[in-house]
This record gives sequence, C-alpha cells and structure tokens, in this order.
Amino acid sequence: MFSLGHKQAGLRYLWLALFSVVLGMVLSIAMRVQIAHGNADLLAERYVALTLLHGSLMVFFVLTTAPQFGFGYFFLPLQIGANDMAFPLLSGLSFWLTLASLLAISVSFFLPIHAGMQLWLLGVVLFSVAAILSSVNFCTTVTDYRTEGMSLTRLPLTVWAWYVTAVLSLLIFGILLAACTLLISDWYFASQFFAARVISTVSLAAIWQRWFWFFAQAEVYVAMLPCFGIVSHLVSTFSRRPVWAERAAVLALCAVGVFGFCIWGYHMFAGALNPYSPLVFSLLASSLGVPASVLLASWLGTIWDGEIRLTTAMLFAIGFISLFLSGGLSGLFLARHDIASAALTDDFVTGHFHLVMGVAATFAILGALFFWFPKLYGRRLNETLGKIHFWITFAGVYCIFMPMHWLGLLDRARNGGVVIAAQSPSAARSFITAAAIITISAQVVFIFNFFWSLLRTQDSYRRNPWHATTLEWFLPTPIPLDDFGGYLPPIYRSAYMYGGRVAGLDFLPQHVAPERLAKFS
Amino acid sequence: MPGTSVIDDIELIIEDIRGSGGGKPPSRRDHGDGGNDSGNTGGERRPEPRPASPKKYSTAIALAMLSILMFFMVLTAAFVVLRFNNLHTWSAIRLPWILWLNTAVLLASSATLELARRKLQVDSLRGFKQMWALTTVLGMLFLAGQVTAWRHLAAEGVYVTSRLSSSFFYVFTALHAAHLLGGICALLYVGLRNFEAARVSRFVAAEVTSYYWHFMDGLWLFLLALLYFGQ
Repeated sequence: MFSLGHKQAGLRYLWLALFSVVLGMVLSIAMRVQIAHGNADLLAERYVALTLLHGSLMVFFVLTTAPQFGFGYFFLPLQIGANDMAFPLLSGLSFWLTLASLLAISVSFFLPIHAGMQLWLLGVVLFSVAAILSSVNFCTTVTDYRTEGMSLTRLPLTVWAWYVTAVLSLLIFGILLAACTLLISDWYFASQFFAARVISTVSLAAIWQRWFWFFAQAEVYVAMLPCFGIVSHLVSTFSRRPVWAERAAVLALCAVGVFGFCIWGYHMFAGALNPYSPLVFSLLASSLGVPASVLLASWLGTIWDGEIRLTTAMLFAIGFISLFLSGGLSGLFLARHDIASAALTDDFVTGHFHLVMGVAATFAILGALFFWFPKLYGRRLNETLGKIHFWITFAGVYCIFMPMHWLGLLDRARNGGVVIAAQSPSAARSFITAAAIITISAQVVFIFNFFWSLLRTQDSYRRNPWHATTLEWFLPTPIPLDDFGGYLPPIYRSAYMYGGRVAGLDFLPQHVAPERLAKFS
Repeated sequence: MPGTSVIDDIELIIEDIRGSGGGKPPSRRDHGDGGNDSGNTGGERRPEPRPASPKKYSTAIALAMLSILMFFMVLTAAFVVLRFNNLHTWSAIRLPWILWLNTAVLLASSATLELARRKLQVDSLRGFKQMWALTTVLGMLFLAGQVTAWRHLAAEGVYVTSRLSSSFFYVFTALHAAHLLGGICALLYVGLRNFEAARVSRFVAAEVTSYYWHFMDGLWLFLLALLYFGQ
C-alpha cells in the first residue's frame, strides 16, 4: 500500500488519471446539456465552477499526470536501465500529495464560492509541490542513473521527452507557486499585491488571470511534450523504421521546452510595460510552429515507406498526428494577436485547444496504454474492441470540435456586421451535444476492454509482442520488484534500430551485444 | 512474418537480462558464449544493490535550487513590474538597521561552514563539529535578527497591510526565512547524525548542505539589494 517503488507510483498515477478522466467526461456532458437546453436550474455561478472543475481535473490530473508521471514513473527507469528512481521516497510522497490535491480540488466544487476558491488554491499548491518533487526525481534519475552505454544520443525519445518536460515543470511550477503565494498572502495576511492598481481599470480577477497564464501557457507544453515523445516512439516501432531525423526531433523537443518557457517572461514584462508586447508574444507563439513542424516532418518521414502495422496503438498515434495538425493550423490563427484578442473567449478557442491539447494528448495516452499494457499487466488489450473504440472516438471528436471552430467564426462574422440569418447556431450546438454524448458513450467500449482484458486470463503470452527494442520489453512480466536486480545491462546501440534485417530480425534490441547477435545470422 | 522462429530465439537471449523467473540469479553463460562477458560480473551477482550514488544528491540539490531561484525570480519580476507601475504612488519604507547586522551574521555563517568542511577534509571530526555548530547558531541568530527587524517595522507602524512596499518586504523576508529554515534543519541533521551506518558519507552530506546554505546566502544578498535599491 505504501510501497515506494517506481512501478507502483506509475500505476497509481495511471489509476488516478483514469478516475479523473471519467469524472471530467461526466462533467463535460453536464456542461453540453446545459448549453444545448439551457435551464435556469443550474446557476451561472455553479456553471463556472463546473467549468473550472472540468478544466482542473483534465489538465492537472489527466494531461499532466498520465503521460508524464504515470508512464514516466513506470517506464523511465526501465528504459534507461536503472533499478528505481533516484529518490524512491519522493516518488511515494509526490503521489500522495497529488492525491490530496485531487481531493481538495474535487471537494472545493461543493463548498460555497469563497471557501471553495481557497480550497481549490490549496489543491493547486499541493499539485505544484508534488510536480516539483517529481521533476527533481526525474531529472536526477536521467542524469545520474543511466546504465553503461546509455549515452544521451541513445536515449529513447520517450525518455528525452520526459527529461525535457521535467526540467520545464521544475521551472514553471515554481512560477505557479509564486503566484499562489502572493494570492494567499493577500487573502490571509491582507497584503496589497492584487489591490495595487496596476492599471486602474484592471480588477483583481484580471490580474490573477494574467498571473495564472504565465504558468498556463507553459503548462500546455508540459502536457504535450511527453505525448510527442510517445508518438515518436510508437510511430517508429510500428513503421519498423528508425525515427527519421532523430537528432532534429530531439532538438525540436528541447526547443519546444525552451520556447514554452520563454513565453512567460515576455508575458510578464512586456505584458505590463510595453505596448508592443502582443506583437512579441505573437511572434514567440508563432515561432513554436518551427519545432512543431520539425516533429511533424519527423513523424511523417518515419511513416513514409515504412512497413506499417496498424495496431490500435499505431492508429492512436496517427490519430494524434492528425489532430495535432488540424489543431495546430487553427492555432496559427490564434497566434495572430489581432484575431486572438477578438476570439479569446469564444467557441473557436474552445475548439482549438480541446483538439490540440485535450483530445490529441488523450490519443497519445491511449496509444501508450495499448502499447505498454502487455508490460503493465502481462496481457494485451483486445485489438478489435480497441479499433472500434478508436474509429468512433476519432470521428466523434472531429464532429464535436470542428463545428465549434465554425461557431466561433460565425460569431465573428456576426460581430463584424455580416448577419447570416439562415444559419442558426443552435442547430450546431445541439449537433455538438449529440456528438459529445455519442463519443463519450463510446468510451464505455474502452472501459469494458480495459477491465475485461485486465480480469480475464490469457494463455498465450509473448514477452515482446511488438518486437520493440527498448530494455523494458526484455524483462519478465510482472516485472520483478528490483527490476534488473544486481546486473544492469549495458547498451550497445540507439533505441530505434528497425528494419535492418540483421541476423534475420527486423529489429535490434538495445542491449544485445554484437557478438551475441552474430550467432543468429 | 519472416524470422518468427529467430524472434523466439531472441526472446530467449533476453532471459539473461535477469533470470527467467526473476528468482534465480542470471547465468551469463547460458548460450555458451559467456566468454564475451568476461569483463562483466560474470555469473556472480553482487548481493547488494548498487550503492547510492553520491552524485545524485548534488544533482538533486542543484535542481531544487533552480526551482527555488525561479520562484524568487517571479516574485522579483512582480516587484519590478509593480514598482514601475506605481512610480508616483510608491511610498518607500525605511529598512531597519538590524538588517545589515543580520547580513554580516549570515555571511559569517557561510565562512564558518567552509571552515568546517576544511576541518573535515583534514580528518578533524572535533573541529568540524565545533565549526558546524557555530554555523548552525549563526543561522539561527540570523532568523532571530529577521524577526527583530519585523518588530522594528511593526513598532514604527509599518505592517504587511500598510502599503505595497511593506507587503513586499514582509513577503520576501518571510519566504527567504522559510527556505533558510530548511537549511537550518539540514545543518542540524548533518551535525547531529551519526554517519557510521549511513548510505551517504558525512562528507557528501556536508557538501550538499553547503551548496544550499551558500545559495540561501547569495539569495539574501540579492533580495536585500532589491529591497534597498527598489525603495
């Protein structure tokens, strides 16, 4: 129960994410029903609280937690050939802090608005502390615990992504903590930070919002970076090709981290002082397109001419690329500050960030789950059910979020004076609600698949069902308590040696010595 | 799929990452070519897990300091921005004189900390303990001095709520004191602990603590300069 091993920590984080995602989806149905058939029963204040709860659950406890801490805690030590994280105590501590934070944030919804806000903030503080502790743990593990031969160039891209994300979270959760500290100090010690008239018309809420965005801007990349790594890993494994332009992809991962971090500074200094700040900010936001394009090119280049195996995990990875591309294109519009300022709260933004951040990241998480499930539990998820689930979800999310873009543009057109009388948005809103309900119902297929595969006994078991190269696949499942035990395997090659046809294999495990391999040719 | 049987073979190779069930020690000579591995540990398995790498503590403390630095940089940024936005309405506070004394005490504690580490290097455990205790006392003295500074201000009628400048003064000093308190806990821990059976050596523990302590020292100088020149 209180074991501190990295595998337990990872599994606990994954279960926590599963719980949160189910709760968050139920909330989103409630919101859609409210929008489609607005009844006065649900007070406006409650509706805002509902949105906040949905957002915090999904962003903190699903998108940040699952790809980084869930899969990261479980697989990072295995992939770099370490027996545990550098600080097992921190692994345990950070999980329990995260759980406490989840409780605080969920309970805050049921409290009266002021007490609820305080409890919510406490939850955020706990989460930030847990994230910082985890990040220290991750960075130290990758820096000091790599096995012999595991040079930085041989690290799997998943590990790279976890590493960059950990450095980024180390910095940005400090920002969030600082903002929270000032707010707490205002609340409890009556200090004057938010009462200060920065600009006389700006209210407390607006100042806090800006503060929060220093963090939230970078938080997007904290959620997305591990997904990039996972998708690169999956695409390479299932195309049986090395990651195309691997060095460039690694540099792009680092660049996303650097840009994602820099944005806050411009936001902070320029935002308050400089009338040209929107331009600078806009340039920076657009420049994120460069590493994003490099990653995209790397994925497509890997798939190109590959021997593609359309497993469910691969489908989700391709789905991620599709969603990332379409969401990223609409992001280009938003990076134009003149458009963004007009569209800041409307459906266009909702559609954009759900597509690119929420759904795309969820696809990466699902892909990773289908890919690693044999390692987590020693059995595979059902592929047929998985594919049914994929196609309904894939079609469903486009049906939900594409009309949202359209609604946003429609609003803009109306504000611009062009009245399109024949096209009533209410039909579209009902369509979105219907699509949301269908898509969310389809998740039952996944939940069923998950628990059914988990509980049923499977006779045929292959240790390395995907013919992957990284270390974790060559340990027995369930993985022994001390992972590799006394012997840490040395590494001889990069993580993506696919398609080489050496020794009759189309993949070369990282740890098999060249001499040993020669025996099989 | 071509080569399926070979793949099964390869799944056998991997048995030697660790024994087949995890229970039996891995035999590195299962496949008859164990000669390749003569440079490794061979059939013997080290009974204990790898000793804790001392490097990890300095890495971790460096990362933690990075995060703390970021935390204070954001507060600094807030100070700078709010200061420039209130150029005309800013009402400065007079820093209590005792702050300068406190600063001297803190600088002295850094010096004694280094002296203590020198003593440890020449194997003088007694000298180390004395200097280390002196450092701890100086650190506590600094905290007491900060509390006195608050009382001075309060006596002048300057409270947290009074104005923006005083809010910043109290919050900066309180947050620094909170972080320094962590440093004092580390000093006490290293000073009082018996390192006979510990996984880390006293030397490493003292080194890691000293990084943090000097960092807190430097951070205080920075904050003091900020508060002094920002008024």
